[in-house]
Amino acid sequence: MPWSNQGGGGGGGPWGSGSGGKSPWGSGPQSGGPTPPDLEEMLRRGQDKLRSVLPGGNLGGKGFAILALAALVLWGFSGLFQVAPDELGVVLRFGKDVREVQPGLNYHLPYPIETVLTPKALRINKIDIGMRSVEDGRRTASRDVPEESLMLTGDENIVDVDFAVLWKVKPAGVGDYLFNIQNPEGTVKAVAESAMREVIGRSDIQPILTGARQTVEAAVQDLMQKTLDHYGAGILIQQVQLQKVDPPTQVIDAFRDVQAARIDLDRSVNEAQTYANSVVPQARGKVAQITQAAEAYKSQTVAQATGQTSRFTSIYDQYKKAPDVTRERMYLETMEKVLGESDKVIINSGKNGSGVVPYLPLNELTRPAPPRPPATGAKP
Amino acid sequence: MKLNFIGGVAGILLLAALIVAYSSLFTVYQTQQALVVRLGQVVRVVDEPGLHVKLPFIENVIDIDKRILDLEAPAQEVIASDQKRLVVDAFARYRIKDPLRFYQTLGSKAAADSQLNILLNSALRRVLGESTFIQVVRDERAELMSRIRDLINREAAGYGIEVVDARIRRADLPEQNSQAVYQRMQTARQREAAEYRAQGLQQAQEIRSKADREVTVLVADATSKSEQIRGEGDATRNKIFADAFNKDPDFFSFYRSMQAYENGLKPNDTRLVLNPDSNFFRYFNDPSGKPVSPAPEAAPAAK
Repeated sequence: MPWSNQGGGGGGGPWGSGSGGKSPWGSGPQSGGPTPPDLEEMLRRGQDKLRSVLPGGNLGGKGFAILALAALVLWGFSGLFQVAPDELGVVLRFGKDVREVQPGLNYHLPYPIETVLTPKALRINKIDIGMRSVEDGRRTASRDVPEESLMLTGDENIVDVDFAVLWKVKPAGVGDYLFNIQNPEGTVKAVAESAMREVIGRSDIQPILTGARQTVEAAVQDLMQKTLDHYGAGILIQQVQLQKVDPPTQVIDAFRDVQAARIDLDRSVNEAQTYANSVVPQARGKVAQITQAAEAYKSQTVAQATGQTSRFTSIYDQYKKAPDVTRERMYLETMEKVLGESDKVIINSGKNGSGVVPYLPLNELTRPAPPRPPATGAKP
Repeated sequence: MKLNFIGGVAGILLLAALIVAYSSLFTVYQTQQALVVRLGQVVRVVDEPGLHVKLPFIENVIDIDKRILDLEAPAQEVIASDQKRLVVDAFARYRIKDPLRFYQTLGSKAAADSQLNILLNSALRRVLGESTFIQVVRDERAELMSRIRDLINREAAGYGIEVVDARIRRADLPEQNSQAVYQRMQTARQREAAEYRAQGLQQAQEIRSKADREVTVLVADATSKSEQIRGEGDATRNKIFADAFNKDPDFFSFYRSMQAYENGLKPNDTRLVLNPDSNFFRYFNDPSGKPVSPAPEAAPAAK
């Protein structure tokens, strides 16, 4: 029973998780633990041996003194420890946090008086949410984790969000980080998920998908930082990076189709504009043509009229000089031309002209072999 | 021999002293607080980390964590006040405020977790059951979470526990409802896409019609203007003719008639039946040219 654990806490804590090791911190992030374990183990064994040989007194007093001195010196040196460049050291005296040391070679009073914890407090940690990086030979592929990445938006849509959180231990918060919170990494993740869902839940889907990435990132970072500060976790959220913000795979085609539809809209408008751009100038050309044709007609008409009247006027001028003769001449000339080129039948009809009637139709009479069928000739 | 004996006794005494010292000293780690129990009875609480003293053998020390501890509740389905279902996955962070009470009532973290789980679940159901779906998802998430925390806190105080925070990690729809949402999203997008396409057609139609109208109007205007121009031309022509021909209407009549005969009676098209009595033939019978009659000279008969 863990509760009956006696004495100095060297055994496991009551929480069970870390009961096997020397460290009471359970499954915390600190990997270093008291250093170096081998040396301590050796020392303890030396002490045990010392105790067991003491009553027997096989050894001479001098030899014993040398052995004891050597053990003491060795024990004293066991307090040397190294802090790696990405770590900070926290020295505990009987479990109490007494000082903090920087990377490099350091010394603490030997076990069991002082121990040291060396968390990787200067490293920036990254937590992926919504996907996991999977090492696949040479390249890293990411695997989607839908139960983490699918979330509801304020307008009851579902959006698929993958993001990463970069966090580190606050510069002055290594003590808080080590001693205030049981499971820092798990807490960061839980808080990140909760904050992201809260922020996404406040917004509609459209801005999330399009423009509001930075706003979302900032809001989540802010909310996470506040929550973690409330816990006194000693954790600084460096950055929240939205990585993939998409509609769920089930509906992504529909979303893409909307994009296509927008392009279709533009295309239809452009096509129509092309039509308009070609048809209106053509019409303007036609307008010019119509107008020019009218102008041409006008000029032509006026010119013809002017020509005809000037001809008339010239003839009239001559006519005035000798009206009767000219009139007679013109008459005869006209008749000559008309009769000269026409078929003619001259019938002396006498006073009544009734003699003509029996010979009709005249067509057959005058032209026994017409060049064209009578039907056509009958036409006016 | 005597020396050896003294040495032996000293050694035994030293060993005994060491054992007593070991048993009467204990450390409290930075992350912990300790209960000192004397024969089953808690006599004091040690809150300060470091090295402490107790009575050897009869006093035991119980370490109790004083960090903020995890509580992960499994996802569960909750019905909101508007009958919508939600799968809610919550977590809480708590710390042991009163180690004595905690030890007396619960004893271990496992017991605390199961007890807090029950509290968290019932608080979750109670608070979310009084809220609408949209309040949970959008409007009042933060307020609801702090109400849940306060509710658990009231109960948990009796166990010496302070709940620092209770948060809804996920509040999602059950799978079958998610499918419905997907369908709705899909149809909404389809509607949007159709709307865009229809808008495209509409705008295109508008542009085309406008262009067509412009064309028609342009042509009509042009036609109207051209008629006007033609009319002007005709008017000018008429005026020119009238001006010229008014000088002698009689001669114009004659002149124009002559022209009309010439143009109107085309050869091959015309057959004339003439009377030799006409004025044209007046020299036909009589070289003196006395007119036979004043009858018209020709009767054109176009066939």
